[in-house]
Amino acid sequence: MTAFSGISVLLVEDESAIAMLIEEMLEDLGCTVVDSVAQLAKALQVAKVLEVDLAILDVNLAGERVFPVAQVLRERHIPFLFSTGYGASGVPGEFADCPVLHKPFAQKDLQLQMAAALKR
Amino acid sequence: MLKADEFPVDTCQPSEYDSLLAMGTRSLDAIPGAIYLCDRDGWLVRFNSEAATLWGRTPVLGEQGDRFCGSYRLYTTSGMPLAVDECPMASTLSAGLCARNQEVLIERPDGSRFVALMSIRTLRDGHGHIQGAINCFQDVSAHHALAEELRRKSADLEDFFENSAVGLHIVSGEGVILRANKAELSLLGYSAEEYIGRHITEFHVDEPVIGDILNKLGSGDCLNSYPARLRAKDGSIKHVAITSNGRFEEGKFFNTRCFTIDVTRVYHAETERQESDDRLAATYEAATIGIAEAGEGGRLLRVNDALCNMLGRTREQLLAMTFLDYTHPDSVEQDAALYARQVAGELDHYVLRKRAVKPDGQALYLDVYSSSVRAPDGRFRYGVRVVQDVTLTREMENRIRGSERHMRNLLEALPAAVYTTDAEGRITFYNRAAVELSGRTPQLGDLWCVTWKLFNTDGTYLPHDQCPMAVALKENRPIRGVEAIAERPDGTRVPFAPYPTPLHDADGNLIGAINMLMDISERKQAQERQKTLIDELNHRVKNTLATVQSLAAQTARNAQDAREGYTRFEARLLALSRAHDLLTKQHWGLTPLSALAHDVLMPVLGQEPERILIAGDAIRVDTRVALNLTMTLNELAINALKYGAMSTETGTLSVRWSIQAQSSGALLTVDWREQNGPSVATPEREGLGSRLMKRCIERDLGGSFELDFAPEGVRCCFSFRVAEAKP
Repeated sequence: MTAFSGISVLLVEDESAIAMLIEEMLEDLGCTVVDSVAQLAKALQVAKVLEVDLAILDVNLAGERVFPVAQVLRERHIPFLFSTGYGASGVPGEFADCPVLHKPFAQKDLQLQMAAALKR
Repeated sequence: MLKADEFPVDTCQPSEYDSLLAMGTRSLDAIPGAIYLCDRDGWLVRFNSEAATLWGRTPVLGEQGDRFCGSYRLYTTSGMPLAVDECPMASTLSAGLCARNQEVLIERPDGSRFVALMSIRTLRDGHGHIQGAINCFQDVSAHHALAEELRRKSADLEDFFENSAVGLHIVSGEGVILRANKAELSLLGYSAEEYIGRHITEFHVDEPVIGDILNKLGSGDCLNSYPARLRAKDGSIKHVAITSNGRFEEGKFFNTRCFTIDVTRVYHAETERQESDDRLAATYEAATIGIAEAGEGGRLLRVNDALCNMLGRTREQLLAMTFLDYTHPDSVEQDAALYARQVAGELDHYVLRKRAVKPDGQALYLDVYSSSVRAPDGRFRYGVRVVQDVTLTREMENRIRGSERHMRNLLEALPAAVYTTDAEGRITFYNRAAVELSGRTPQLGDLWCVTWKLFNTDGTYLPHDQCPMAVALKENRPIRGVEAIAERPDGTRVPFAPYPTPLHDADGNLIGAINMLMDISERKQAQERQKTLIDELNHRVKNTLATVQSLAAQTARNAQDAREGYTRFEARLLALSRAHDLLTKQHWGLTPLSALAHDVLMPVLGQEPERILIAGDAIRVDTRVALNLTMTLNELAINALKYGAMSTETGTLSVRWSIQAQSSGALLTVDWREQNGPSVATPEREGLGSRLMKRCIERDLGGSFELDFAPEGVRCCFSFRVAEAKP
């Protein structure tokens, strides 16, 4: 059992290899990956309706930015965190105070940022 | 002359008186001279006809007749009236003496006068008693007039000598000053005592001069305005002109008469005039510009050396021609017309640039300044022409003009926007590139900049009078290292780097500026691109590392043992690396699918063209598709090599793909088919490879994926939408 047992998570990540890694990390933590999507359109669609405790958002989705998804989630008061290959500068001002995971990351980094996102 | 006192005295004889009385009138008339006789009381008793003629009347004889003299009226020689009882006869009788050569003036009844010279002798009897007197007189008017004239002449001469305005002196044969007049003394400031009696050489400044003067005069030469210098009493030196000749008496040099004319003032004036002339002449000759004087018709009257040199002709040649003779035919008409107007007084002067020709045919360009010298009545006397050779100047001007034109052509041809301004910032030139950059055609005279509107790099408005060019001109320094943004009238913006540089003349005065505007849009874009690229590279590296991390984790988790796990991981890592190589080769742009398939499969399966067929429609795919296809094809290849058709030497593999156009984009379908390999069985559980492929195609590319472990060989068919990107 971990502090994150039973937490339901939406994963938005455009590369399957990485998505598989994060999914396994989350499962190891006792979380449930409710959905894992790679494309912005799909992510937007899901974000509007899916009931989840937390969302992990890859910033760059095949060249498109994930921020519209973040806006939807913010409106719905669903906590989220970003994962990105860019530095912190890759996140615009309005999301500057959101937790950011810098790829590649270890499981404990994921735990830290998840905790930060859920505390808010 | 009759000598009355020489009559004989004989007392024994009848007295002289009686004898004379006894002589008849006829006898008295025979005497060649005027004679009359008075008794002792003065009454005329006898006279001869000569006397009556002189008197102009016939006197009355005897008592109560004429007494003492038969003349009508008497005057002294000085013209005073003389009473008859005071005349020489009366005074001689009363004194009892003789009178000789007494002169009186006798007036005749007709008013005419004459000077009478009288000689009177008293006549006595034997006892010495006065009986009367005889007067013998003659008309000496002529003689007297001559004497008077002589006297007057002499006085005139004296006056002339003494009061002449010209200095005069007389020098003896020995050189001693005998006389000098007032003018001469006044000229030199000496008194007569200080001057007269001294030797003339004492007063001459130049000994050789007076030596020469005396020598010339002594040998009979005349001096005419001989220049000499005399020393005045006050020490000053007087310039004089001496005119003199010697006086010879009986062939002997007697003395000299000298006119001394003070020419000091004339000398000084002359000296000044000479100096002035010399100065003018020196100027004339030393002048580096040509000067000529010309007559009415243009005939040259005087030319200086500079003009001779300039025109390549001697003075003699020039003085034999008019200034039109060396003028080029193209300029003759104009110069002649102007000169004619100047001579006529219509023009005071004129300035002309004209062409001339040297004797050797060489062409000259001359700047002529022509003016006139006129008589006080305005009549034209001669023209003065100052001539400057401007051939070289003109050549230089032409060369400069040519070089300016060349420079303009050069600036025009420059691919950079270039414009120039004057010192006040008014635009004087701009090239085509400037028009292109500013998006407008500037007007000459516009201020500061060719652009429409200016902005700073931070987007704030930049007024033209504060632009870099304005700063460069106002502060007189080149501006470097700044950038600005120009907005064109159409609203588009161009970032540019200006290079305003002040221009100076030879004396260092600011005369304008030149500005070059470098369009730095491309540089800016390149900078942007570079930044994006670095960000992108970072992103990819980090994503790739995350992928590697994932592959390592998955492989480890699913491997049967460490060795098998490592081999698998290595194969996946190398496939990923090859995909990166290929993408790098295509600059992470579009990659041909054919090349991608070969590059992924060949390293795993080897070069076996008889067994492996790779073919399909020509298409280029983006990086994302390329990476997912790489992963998928790599997993299929590994599986084929380990368990499928490629695990035996007889198996074959065909990889084919095709494109189907759709309403938007196209559908790419890939068909993987293994044959002639070992019999295939469906694995008990889905391996990592299968899951990875499925997710790559279905999840990441939104496509469909079918994997069939058919006994005759593995068959995999997958398709997904791609953007239409034909080669």
